[in-house]
Amino acid sequence: MNNTLIQFSQVSHRYPGGAGDVLSDVNFELEAGEMAFLTGASGAGKSTLLRLIALLARAHRGQVVVAGTNLAHVKSAKVAAYRRQVGMIFQNFNLLYDRSVFDNVALPLVIRGHAHLDIARKVRAALDTVGLLHRERSMPLTLSGGEQQRVGIARAVVTKPMLLLADEPTGNLDPEMAWDVMKLFERFNDVGVSVLVATHAIDLVERLGKRVIHLEAGRVTDKRPVAASRVSLAEAH
Amino acid sequence: MARATDQAEAKPGFLTRLTQDHARVFFFSLGKLVNAPGNALFTAAVIGIALALPASLQLAVNNFQRLSYSWQGSVQMSLFLKGTVDEARGRDLATELSKYGSVKSTQYLSREQSAAEFREFSGFGEALDLLDANPLPAVIVVTPLPGRNAAQMAELSGMLSALPEVELAQLDQHWLERLDAILRILQRVGLLVGALLSVAVLVIVGNTLRLDVEARREEIEVMKLIGAPDSFVRRPFLYGGCWLGLLGGWFALLLLTLGLFVIDRPAQELAALYGSSFRISGPTTSTVLGIVAGGVVLGWLGAWWTVAKHLSAIQPR
Repeated sequence: MNNTLIQFSQVSHRYPGGAGDVLSDVNFELEAGEMAFLTGASGAGKSTLLRLIALLARAHRGQVVVAGTNLAHVKSAKVAAYRRQVGMIFQNFNLLYDRSVFDNVALPLVIRGHAHLDIARKVRAALDTVGLLHRERSMPLTLSGGEQQRVGIARAVVTKPMLLLADEPTGNLDPEMAWDVMKLFERFNDVGVSVLVATHAIDLVERLGKRVIHLEAGRVTDKRPVAASRVSLAEAH
Repeated sequence: MARATDQAEAKPGFLTRLTQDHARVFFFSLGKLVNAPGNALFTAAVIGIALALPASLQLAVNNFQRLSYSWQGSVQMSLFLKGTVDEARGRDLATELSKYGSVKSTQYLSREQSAAEFREFSGFGEALDLLDANPLPAVIVVTPLPGRNAAQMAELSGMLSALPEVELAQLDQHWLERLDAILRILQRVGLLVGALLSVAVLVIVGNTLRLDVEARREEIEVMKLIGAPDSFVRRPFLYGGCWLGLLGGWFALLLLTLGLFVIDRPAQELAALYGSSFRISGPTTSTVLGIVAGGVVLGWLGAWWTVAKHLSAIQPR
């Protein structure tokens, strides 16, 4: 068994009724235990690529293989079980606002049928990791954006998934919170979790110095993203 | 951060997990109901009315049946004796029969007494005068004990007609048979109304839960995003349907009790006018259980039907 966790081979995708391919002929690999950033302008196909990995959509052409499984062969009844192997983090946090922080983080464990004591222990460990142990009884809306995102991250990692996918996790956060969140991803990666983060925060990407997969109009290119702070500068040249 | 170290996760066994999850959903859905009872109570009231209608029909039929049984006891049976049986034997037989288990009393009418009664009551007295001899047989009038049902009466009648002295045993209960037939029709009507209103309950529960599913669309999307299987997403709604059905069943029982309370006194007065001590009887234990269980089952079915349809339509974007 090789060490490749995610493999895209000549993957193309278009949405029904869409004008053209959102992704065309995408090839890339992510090693197990690797952390990479997915960059590109809005509409370049970052979210679509993550959706294909999470089986929220299926590739029209080419094949996506995750942990040795060809996703084209995962039956719809097995999609939920597949998704439980992946931790997902969203730009809008996707928390359940009628339950406490604790209950939000506990949800993936409840779905998996863990025992109550086990759940309490694991949830507290996850909340401790993201530094929110003291807020376990709070309702999500009483938290700041950065804290809500950390709850989302705790929920994603509480089941110790092999892979974390994050779609614009810092899109709604101020720079300081964004940096905390990115450092958090780096810490998870340090203990062996593979991480793929789609982001516009180029300055953070550059500071972390991880591999960058850059998309332009649905294709992977060798070009490098330009940080927002330097866009006008680059255009002047 | 201890990651990927405890691979052998100590998950409880299948049965424990199932029990734990059902207990959790039980309290979760009950909590939702208690926290926002308005809509649910309204739905439960409608279900209650729908369940109370067929149940009250059934109750009415049961009571009429009891009434017809008690009337059955007042029915008399006429044993027409053979011409060869003389008066002394006839009187002996009447005395013998009065000692039978299900017989209350007997009365012997000789041929002459029969003729006299015929003259008095039939209005065809002159017809007898045209005949040479008295054509009427001697009769033993048998009054059965009260409270016998149709089958017991038929058995008694069969036994009496088999006696060697008896030419013909006549049981005058045609009108009771007619009442029985009418009650059978009413029973069928009750079943039909019950079936139709059960469908109505399914629709009511379905509609309430459809709105519930819509209101919780985001929550459902999030759950599907983090890998919740359909059964997990569905379960709270199924429990919600059961709660609605249970509340509806209780409401139906409440309505029935109120109805009985309102009707009881006039019914008693009516019975008194007929010199009867008949009282309307309430639903039996099995009827009560049937109404409540029926409500729960219908709630569950309605929930399943609507949730299966609408949950699959909600996919995370």
